[in-house]
Amino acid sequence: MATMIEENGPSSHEQSEVSSSSQARQKLEGLLNKNMRIRMTDGRTLVGLFLCTDRDCNVILGSAQEFLKSTDTFSQGEPRVLGLAMIPGHHVVSIEVEADSLEDAQGFGANC
Amino acid sequence: MVMKSTVEDDDAGWGLGIPEKMKNNANWVDITHEFKGACKELNLGELLHDKLFGLFEAMSAIEMMDPKMDAGMIGNQVNRKVLNFEQAIKEGAIKVKDLSLPELIGIIDTCFCCLITWLEGHSLAQTVFTCLYVHNPDLIEEPALKAFALGILKVCDIAREKVNKAAVFEEEDFQAMTYGFKMANNVTDLRVTGMLKDVEDELQRKVKSTRSRQGEQRNPEVELEHQQYLALFNRIKFTRLLLTALITFTKKETSSVGEAQKLVAQAADLLSAIHSSIQHGIQSQNDTTKGDHPIMMGFEPLVNQRLLPPTFPRYAKIIKREDMVAYFGKLIERIKTVCDVINTTNLHGILDFFCEFSEQSPCVLSRSLLQTTFLIDNKKVFGTHLMQDMIKDALRYFVSPPVLSHKCCLFNNHQAKDYIDSFVTHCSRPFCSLIQIHGHNRARQRDKLGHILEEFATLQDEAEKVDAALHSLLMKLEPQRQHLACLGTWILYHNLRIMIQYLLSGFELELYSMHEYYYIYWYLSEFLYAWLMSTLSRADSSQMAEERIMEEQLKGRSSKKTKKKKKVRPLSKEITMSQAYQNMCAGMYKTMVALDMDGKVHKPQFELDSEQVRYEHRFAPFNSVVTPPPVHYIQFKEMSDLKKYNPPPGSADLYLAASKHFQQAKLILENVPSPDPEVNRILKVAKPNIVVMKLLAGGHKKETKVLPEFDFSAHKYFPVVKII
Repeated sequence: MATMIEENGPSSHEQSEVSSSSQARQKLEGLLNKNMRIRMTDGRTLVGLFLCTDRDCNVILGSAQEFLKSTDTFSQGEPRVLGLAMIPGHHVVSIEVEADSLEDAQGFGANC
Repeated sequence: MVMKSTVEDDDAGWGLGIPEKMKNNANWVDITHEFKGACKELNLGELLHDKLFGLFEAMSAIEMMDPKMDAGMIGNQVNRKVLNFEQAIKEGAIKVKDLSLPELIGIIDTCFCCLITWLEGHSLAQTVFTCLYVHNPDLIEEPALKAFALGILKVCDIAREKVNKAAVFEEEDFQAMTYGFKMANNVTDLRVTGMLKDVEDELQRKVKSTRSRQGEQRNPEVELEHQQYLALFNRIKFTRLLLTALITFTKKETSSVGEAQKLVAQAADLLSAIHSSIQHGIQSQNDTTKGDHPIMMGFEPLVNQRLLPPTFPRYAKIIKREDMVAYFGKLIERIKTVCDVINTTNLHGILDFFCEFSEQSPCVLSRSLLQTTFLIDNKKVFGTHLMQDMIKDALRYFVSPPVLSHKCCLFNNHQAKDYIDSFVTHCSRPFCSLIQIHGHNRARQRDKLGHILEEFATLQDEAEKVDAALHSLLMKLEPQRQHLACLGTWILYHNLRIMIQYLLSGFELELYSMHEYYYIYWYLSEFLYAWLMSTLSRADSSQMAEERIMEEQLKGRSSKKTKKKKKVRPLSKEITMSQAYQNMCAGMYKTMVALDMDGKVHKPQFELDSEQVRYEHRFAPFNSVVTPPPVHYIQFKEMSDLKKYNPPPGSADLYLAASKHFQQAKLILENVPSPDPEVNRILKVAKPNIVVMKLLAGGHKKETKVLPEFDFSAHKYFPVVKII
């Protein structure tokens, strides 16, 4: 496990030169373990802790809950517990985070 | 509302509480664009994650929008509105009174189908509870439907209780979860059967009033109505009989089992009438031939979609109405068989009964009923006999140990009594487990048999010690008698039976590859069956010794000459059968070795394993057994080495020897008085194999490169060898 993190994690030796990719990493790392709300292509919304992502924007949410689209009358607002869920990047329509969690993640939501 | 409470209950069960702050009042900020942009900066294959989260954790995530994993998807694909029971009533999509007869018949039949699908291992939420009527029978105004809905709920509830109590199911057999639905717990069993009976009587009056009278011109509409009333009457009566039978099983008296048997027999009599009236019920709007859930009034397959855990086998194939009657027929046959167990009094007989019953791969409900009939709540066999007494009887029947004989001084000796009583008490738990194992499904049985060998190894050890202690006691009191290896022989017998069953079931479950057959059959014929036969004959001679002493004592008392009757030895049948099995195994072993010599057994290229690894894996559970000691691979290779013969036999010699073994098995079996089906099954394999082996010995198709086929259709453990 530890070796994998070293391989995959942000490489520390690049810290000196502030490249755009290390900035992006820092941004994303700031969001880790924050609550995230993701809307999917079929209209459902998942809310959970942001745990992991990759280049294709596949996102893994922890303790995720599923909310049906707002037009659905039946059992609206009653979430279904999914636990650990992976949303493929091409099914991600929108991503939202709570405003107060942006304080730690510099560079996000600056234009909002 | 039922649904709400359910969701909350289950959330707690999954241990995934909802963080309060994520409710809608939080201030959400859209970061889609930045997020996606930032992701693009990552390298290919790079994962951005927390230190505590790695690939291993990521593996267990469910993939959204994957039809196999994402249960929530399906609900979004249908165009109709999914309503629950109250909503459906409010919208007028469902009738709760004035239902027509075809509607009632159709709803009942679909419910029956759902019930069976549940019993076959699907969840209640996807089967019975897709029927909206059973969500809340209190809202139903139609008396027949209300009584039926309550009846079905009770049937489910009792079946579930039985299965849970028997504990012979695994996740692949049965889903016990009720998702918080009320199983008609607010109404007593008696009240429900009473309601069903009232409806039944009312329907019977209707049936009578629409019956054709002599000389009357028959109105086809009245005739149809008569048929429909009759169809409904039969269904309600069937439900009542099934429910009453299940209730009867929960009673403690042994007599209740006979009563239950009568009730299910009555229910079975209704089945043909139910089958012929299926067409009177309304049919579903969709095509159900491929197992799709029927869509009709009162049913909503998606109503519980949100209750299912995130990863759930989403698709429950509901069985067809035509098959429903046949299934009920078989179920009732199985329940009738289960009831017969109470006529078996001997522990060995009961064990054989369980083995035989299990061989038909019965459903989880009948398996559970058998378990709960055998050992009732009070921990007594059939509610009347103590397990300890059953074990003592079995010992008397098997080895007649002096310590359990009235005529022996040990019988009233305190110390001897203590020894034997504590031994028998220690036996009772492993033997109960052994019987319980035979209630599991076939695949799980094998696994569990491997584990119980450890417990029997401990018993074996104790049995030998008790035997020795009793023997030294007896030597002081009655020097002419012996108490050698009595209890030990009995435990060893069970040990061997378990080991043999463990190996044989591998054939039934198709676990072995063709190139493994030879060492499995070798182990059985040369080792386990040889041990079994010597154990049985030791038990037999121990019985005879005991009988001789009894006779001598009798002679001493009365001068009357006791007529020497040629009694049938109780174990003779089992000894004969073991000989037959041993010959079948030996025949198969030699066949496999010979085929291998001729290059007709496909052997894999062992890369990461070897034959030794496989061999050791196959016999691994035997390592916990002390007697008989496990045969290790090296020993096996030495013992089965053909080079020790001079000259070493060729394949033709081996085929001929195999043929002789099959011939021998045939001879033994043909002399069995009153042969049972098992004897005939083995003969069906032995006979063709004799011929095939002779042909092969004569060089028939020696050059063919086509591999032989092994056909296990005649017997689970022994194949007919086919040369193509």
